[in-house]
Amino acid sequence: MDQSQESGNMEEVRICDPSILPQCLDQTDVAYSDSDVPSENHCVNEDHRTPSDPEGLLESADPTSVEICQQQELLRDMLKLQTDEDRSLCAGASETDSGKASEDSALADSVHDDSGEFVVTMLAQGKMEEQGIGMEGALSSLSETGTPPGPPSHRNEDVTAESWRQHRKHVFVLSEAGKPIYSRYGSEEALSSTMGVMMALVSFVQSGDNIIRSVYSDEHTVVFMQRGPLVLVSVSSSRQSEQQLRNELLYVYNQIVSMLTQASITRIFEHKKNYDLRRLLAGSEKILDGLLNLVDSDPSLLLSAVHCLPLASSLRDSLSQILQKAITPNLVFSILIAKNQLLTIVQEKMVIDDARLEPADLHLLLNLIGASSAFQAGEIWTPICLPSFNPDCYFYAYISYLDPPECTVCLVLLSTDKEAFYSVAECKRRIEEAMQTQNALSSIAKAHSYSVSQVGVSDLRHFMYKPFDVPDNHRQLTQFTSPEMEAPYNSEEEQMRLLDLYRDMHGRIHSTSRPLKLIYHVAERETLLAWVTSKFELYTCFSPLVTKTSAINAITKLLRWIKKEEDRLFIRYPPKYSTTPNPSKSSKGDAH
Amino acid sequence: MLMISPRMASGMQEKQYAPSLLSFFIYNPKFGPREGEEEKKILFYHPIEIEKNEKIRNVGLCEAIVQFTRTFCPTKPARSLHTQKNRQFFHEPEENYWMVMVVRNPMVEKPNKDGKPPTAEYQEEEIIDSVYGSVLKQCYSMYKLFNGTFIRAFEAGGVELLTQKLEKFFYRYLQTLHLQSCDLLDVFGGISFFPLDKMTYLKIQSFVNRVEESLSLVKYTAFLYNDQLIWSGLEQDDMRILYKYLTTSLFPRHTEPELAGRDSPLRPEVAGNLLHYGRFLTGPANLKDPDAKFRFPKIFVNTEDSYEELHLIVYKAMSAAVCFMVNAAVDMSREFCEQLDSLVGPQLTLLASDICEQYNINRRISGPEKEPQFKFIYFNHMNLAEKSTIHMRKTASVSLTSVHPDLMKILGDINCDFARVDEDEEIIVKAMTDYWVVGKKSDQRELYVILNQKNANLIEVNEEVKRLCATQFNNIFFLD
Repeated sequence: MDQSQESGNMEEVRICDPSILPQCLDQTDVAYSDSDVPSENHCVNEDHRTPSDPEGLLESADPTSVEICQQQELLRDMLKLQTDEDRSLCAGASETDSGKASEDSALADSVHDDSGEFVVTMLAQGKMEEQGIGMEGALSSLSETGTPPGPPSHRNEDVTAESWRQHRKHVFVLSEAGKPIYSRYGSEEALSSTMGVMMALVSFVQSGDNIIRSVYSDEHTVVFMQRGPLVLVSVSSSRQSEQQLRNELLYVYNQIVSMLTQASITRIFEHKKNYDLRRLLAGSEKILDGLLNLVDSDPSLLLSAVHCLPLASSLRDSLSQILQKAITPNLVFSILIAKNQLLTIVQEKMVIDDARLEPADLHLLLNLIGASSAFQAGEIWTPICLPSFNPDCYFYAYISYLDPPECTVCLVLLSTDKEAFYSVAECKRRIEEAMQTQNALSSIAKAHSYSVSQVGVSDLRHFMYKPFDVPDNHRQLTQFTSPEMEAPYNSEEEQMRLLDLYRDMHGRIHSTSRPLKLIYHVAERETLLAWVTSKFELYTCFSPLVTKTSAINAITKLLRWIKKEEDRLFIRYPPKYSTTPNPSKSSKGDAH
Repeated sequence: MLMISPRMASGMQEKQYAPSLLSFFIYNPKFGPREGEEEKKILFYHPIEIEKNEKIRNVGLCEAIVQFTRTFCPTKPARSLHTQKNRQFFHEPEENYWMVMVVRNPMVEKPNKDGKPPTAEYQEEEIIDSVYGSVLKQCYSMYKLFNGTFIRAFEAGGVELLTQKLEKFFYRYLQTLHLQSCDLLDVFGGISFFPLDKMTYLKIQSFVNRVEESLSLVKYTAFLYNDQLIWSGLEQDDMRILYKYLTTSLFPRHTEPELAGRDSPLRPEVAGNLLHYGRFLTGPANLKDPDAKFRFPKIFVNTEDSYEELHLIVYKAMSAAVCFMVNAAVDMSREFCEQLDSLVGPQLTLLASDICEQYNINRRISGPEKEPQFKFIYFNHMNLAEKSTIHMRKTASVSLTSVHPDLMKILGDINCDFARVDEDEEIIVKAMTDYWVVGKKSDQRELYVILNQKNANLIEVNEEVKRLCATQFNNIFFLD
């Protein structure tokens, strides 16, 4: 493809002209010169990064450096590593000339594109607003200045303050060279020494032919996870199981992969060990922040299942049919979302024969859409990798809200063809038309989650039900259903508390070494029951005074009710279409 | 080390290794703060053969882990480090004194074809932190019982004396750690109390009072029967570790003569005394021996405040054992021991047979025990009372449990869940093997029941546990 655009003009052109969308990465030589790093000139510098000093973090004369020196020294004392063996100890501080040299040589073939960076560029909200990314007439609806994103939430926190330590869950991402990539709270600069320590711990244990997993204190669980050249660390006081925290880190890793692809990350670090990945992820902190908030507040990530918006099956069917009719070659998934819940998803037959869409991928996709309000404007065409599907390859996502300005109903069309923007946009037009004819939007607007009172069991306060006995199960998205959280779980705090109780039970019942079939837990403020069978997984919350007999009766009633309502609560028969007589060459098999 | 007999897997042998002690060390970071002096930090290191730099590295890692966790909470540093191959437990019993125990994860060794070395698969989730953390704390308590605190030793004789004491104690003690059989009981560190009717209990109390009055040197007394405690004048925490020592170390070493029957040559000291069956378990083996030494082990109690050093005199007649503790400043003499022997011997013999009789009557009343449908562990945090029908007799080396290790670990999990909140709770779980496990926590008491009724439902399980509570916990724990 035509990749050798002039870099100065690149962003603009890329966005407006889908034809220069990145190729599959395999073909490109990786070249990361400063000139094509978006953060240099465009990125909203909301996090007080110092783009002028992307490399020599620890050499910088910023005020944190004193502390850094002390900590580094301390560490060196403690670990007593033979310095020649272990470079990670000195993280950024030992940036060598050879590193710079390789960067220089990389400059030579700089024009080659790196697709990952493009995605990220696309996702940086401020930037998109600035440039009026929305195509096809959406421009006018965007104010010139764009709303500067609210105060940079947690990024410029004082990392020595008690309030910083009090956070329920910290997440850090760093490179194998100890370079900070992401921190949920506090700037990466201020935390670079802490992250240096993390990396030192990882590599120290590694040097003993062992792998560090976690550290427990009375207050925190610290979980370490290495994925390729990235190290992810969770420091949590949530008392979740290690397995759960590890899963959350995996979500974080996969979200990064969804923007850059795994192959690209690997190649970047093969090429230059101490590359500062933030250059490619600039602006995407918000997406990771959003993901971590979701992880804490949305049980669908815990359950690895998708939450469908309850809908009369006739309405859901007609929506599916609308999607089924609006197709174009290489279209593989058509997804309709309302209020952050799934309405329907239609899948290409051939692709689905190959593999199914994993809930995890859908969560990442939904988070990506949710985290960036920029998507609310006009139409977006962006490459996205679905890591569970194939971590090394991009899909091309067309994202558009169907009900501006409310922006609750979102259409996502995934294609394997990066050139397909116009034809996919045409699909959207047809979908919009059909929905208008059927007045579908107003029907969707009436759909909402349900109250547990509809089940008609007095002591039952809340539940989560994940069936395994759906027809065609092995080919469809794992789903779950759950009512609204109602009194006494009105406040955010109480909702979190209930979720924590569910997480506890989930952790125990799915323990890797000692799984259980059933847990009945009578606690001070509620009674909980978790039950896993071959047909379903169920978590229920009762008032604390419920007797075991009435709890059992309640569950019998609940299961009966769900059976009766299953057509409304779940996508029972996932619809399909066929767009590609010959399976697209750029789909799954291609990247091997 | 080989726990379970090798099982055959497709014609090749798989070896299963139980958790085992990899290393154990004690350091004080203040003792070698400068570069090049790191070795000075290390006060004790097992195994001793480890090369110096390796020791320094391992200590360094612990320091780094502790320091790292302080970034997030300065007052609550790391307690354990999990790695693929092992778990490390950290304990700072006295300021700046760190004890570290490294336990290797259980492992399955799978042989490879073509003469390749076998692959080791580590089972990373098998070790329960609370259990082994407690074992480490117990190591310190046991050291302190016989040696006093680290700081006192350091003050008295510097690093030299301290390291001497550490080496002398831990060299032997670590060999008695049986890490493969640690479980929930190690977390509780409880005391098994002997169930007794009021009359007999009063008899024992008055016996203790009489002896303390006649032998004014005696500062504290503890009375045990059948390895179970009946009376103790010590503080709870001191009694708990002393009890552990008596029941897992001292008593098992002395059971043989009693089992050996009256006429056996194994009982020379009894033969010499026809009036009673009393004898010293510590100190002189035979009072008649003209060369008998009157040296008793010294113990340290109340180390938090009065810091008392005492002689530990353990005297036994049949199944009754009494500990007399005497200020260590007083030299123990032949006269005192003879006085004690003649005063306590006959009375204790009498008491022991009284208790035995009472015990048999009670047993007869409750009828012959048929194998119950359940097994349980009970623990009371207030008086440390513990009762287990899961464990067979705990011997010096191993405590045998009558249930599958996985079920024991589920008990450990439930105990961890209980530890999270102060409120009363109940947790009932059904294991993959269809066993039901019930945990109840109420007002400082914890009860764990394993039910062997695989086809029972939740309601039946509940009924069963109710019955158990009604029959078993009405009057067992008289000290409540």
